Amino acid sequence: MKKRFPFFSLSVLTAIVVSCLACSAIMTKNPLYMDLAHCNEAPGKEFLFGTDAMGRDIFSMIWYGGRISLTIGFLATLFSTILAVFAGSVSGCAPARIDGVLMGMTELFLSVPGLLLTVFLQAVFVRTNVYSLSVVIGLTGWMSMAKVVRTEVMQLKNMDYVLAARCLGGGFFHVLIRHLAPNFFPSVLFMAVMNVRNAIVAEATLSFMGLGLPVEEVSWGSMLSLSENAFLSGSWWIILIPGAFLTGTLLCLTNLGNYMRGSANKRHSNLGRQGILKIKKR
Amino acid sequence: MRKLCISKILYNMGKFALRVFALSVLVFLISRLAPGDPLYAYYGERVEKMSVADQEQARERLGLHEPLFTQYARWLQAAFHGDFGISYQYKTDVKEVIAARIGNTLVLGGLGFLLIFVFALGLGLFCAWREDRTADRIICRIGTVTSCVPEFWLSLLFLLVFAVWLDWLPGSGAYSVGEEGNVADRAAHLILPLAVVVLGHLWYYAFQVRNRLLEEVRADYVLLARMKGLSGRQVLFRHCLRGALPSYLSMMAVALPHILGGTYVVETVFSYPGIGTLAYESARYQDYNILMVVSLLTGTLVIFCNLLAGIVSGRIDPRMRIQNGAGGGEVRNF
Repeated sequence: MKKRFPFFSLSVLTAIVVSCLACSAIMTKNPLYMDLAHCNEAPGKEFLFGTDAMGRDIFSMIWYGGRISLTIGFLATLFSTILAVFAGSVSGCAPARIDGVLMGMTELFLSVPGLLLTVFLQAVFVRTNVYSLSVVIGLTGWMSMAKVVRTEVMQLKNMDYVLAARCLGGGFFHVLIRHLAPNFFPSVLFMAVMNVRNAIVAEATLSFMGLGLPVEEVSWGSMLSLSENAFLSGSWWIILIPGAFLTGTLLCLTNLGNYMRGSANKRHSNLGRQGILKIKKR
Repeated sequence: MRKLCISKILYNMGKFALRVFALSVLVFLISRLAPGDPLYAYYGERVEKMSVADQEQARERLGLHEPLFTQYARWLQAAFHGDFGISYQYKTDVKEVIAARIGNTLVLGGLGFLLIFVFALGLGLFCAWREDRTADRIICRIGTVTSCVPEFWLSLLFLLVFAVWLDWLPGSGAYSVGEEGNVADRAAHLILPLAVVVLGHLWYYAFQVRNRLLEEVRADYVLLARMKGLSGRQVLFRHCLRGALPSYLSMMAVALPHILGGTYVVETVFSYPGIGTLAYESARYQDYNILMVVSLLTGTLVIFCNLLAGIVSGRIDPRMRIQNGAGGGEVRNF
């Protein structure tokens, strides 16, 4: 299968990101204003996507809240990537014993289910805000990337140019940034895109369950936390619209990530007719 | 030879024990460092009416005044006797609270795992067989989309469509009131959560099977088998499948705790009385004794399954190194 560049995904994603960043130009209402005269209003001319149980305009909240969801996705990934690159490269360069301890810790973090780890860490911060939530999500998302970085570093560290750089007196960080990082960058990039996706899902899930951002702080997840009321009043737009935006963003990110993963098998399968033809040609 | 085997078993058991111990320290530390006051969770609003002396007394009775290390040692000692303390919220033995619910989670997660195990293999085989044909492309597209939908939103969607709009299936609980023993009723309550669990995980594993088979299909022995006169399908099922099976088995061993643990969110949305809902409630009410035991249970299962996967794959195929989690695009199982 030839991989085509995902133009469509990229443009949709860009559109969402740009409109979220420029939300003040797009919003038709104040997303925080609770218009109690218009609760649970269906999508219409005045409220393009309807209003929620607290009378807030969903169309405006989508862009305003999307900014927070995307920010958390980005910040958490930044944090977990730095952590993963550091842990992975230290572990890859260090002697076997330290490597064992570090990898043991990674395994340990991997063995606690993500939700419980997040809830525990969440409890350490007294007040939840965008930054603390990003840190918590970042702290739960670095492990598998650290493993990949470690494997790459272990292969790279015995290369002649790395040896040369170290003989010339290059310190750990110099070697890491100048020589190692450019080499493992592609595989990290793919995982980073996937981490953005995971972080957005994590934020949405936590906020939805009432363990993340409070309802007053608008994000795609906390908008969905009002869904129980929506079932009772039958207002489908409260559930469908934020979820559709969330899923669309995740889908675009996945397509981009898959493209970055590099090309798939280029050889022909031996199963089909081509296989037989190949034998004949030989 | 035998000596080697015994030392290997001892080594693995030691590794297991060490990891579980480290896990328990981690879980204990985090739970005690968290700021929520367990006293509040135990006595609720009444704490405010208590005098300071009364509060101190209660703290002492619950053992909350001692240094962390002593608390941990006492907790560990009690845990070895099967005593995990009392639930601050339910005011009963933690074991009882968990025992009452673990069955429901095992049914949901176990059935989900079985279905995923079978369907992922089937779907992967089918896609590999029809590689790059229309059917494969359509399935891959749909699969990518389903793997992107967050589990909680899929649950909401199913609830909205099947429970609210169509009113075909019940949307919450494990059984209707007074129908505890009714198997049909329980099954009806199970359909929606089960569907979400299976759909949420299926494609990730099916896609791995497909990719693994596509590598296998490009091996030279396939050419030989084709030249013998076997049809493509025969080669795929008789030879390639056998080559891909060991890695599939070890992958699914790692997947078992993920799928069991992945039911947490689904359980909460469907208010299905299982471990997940319990963990969620305990997190909200800062009932750390329960949270600790739940984390320990799942964590131990994860450690055990990882070890098992390593041993199994090493047995079947010594060349194979288990690369747990290195696959990259794995969906974080919430």
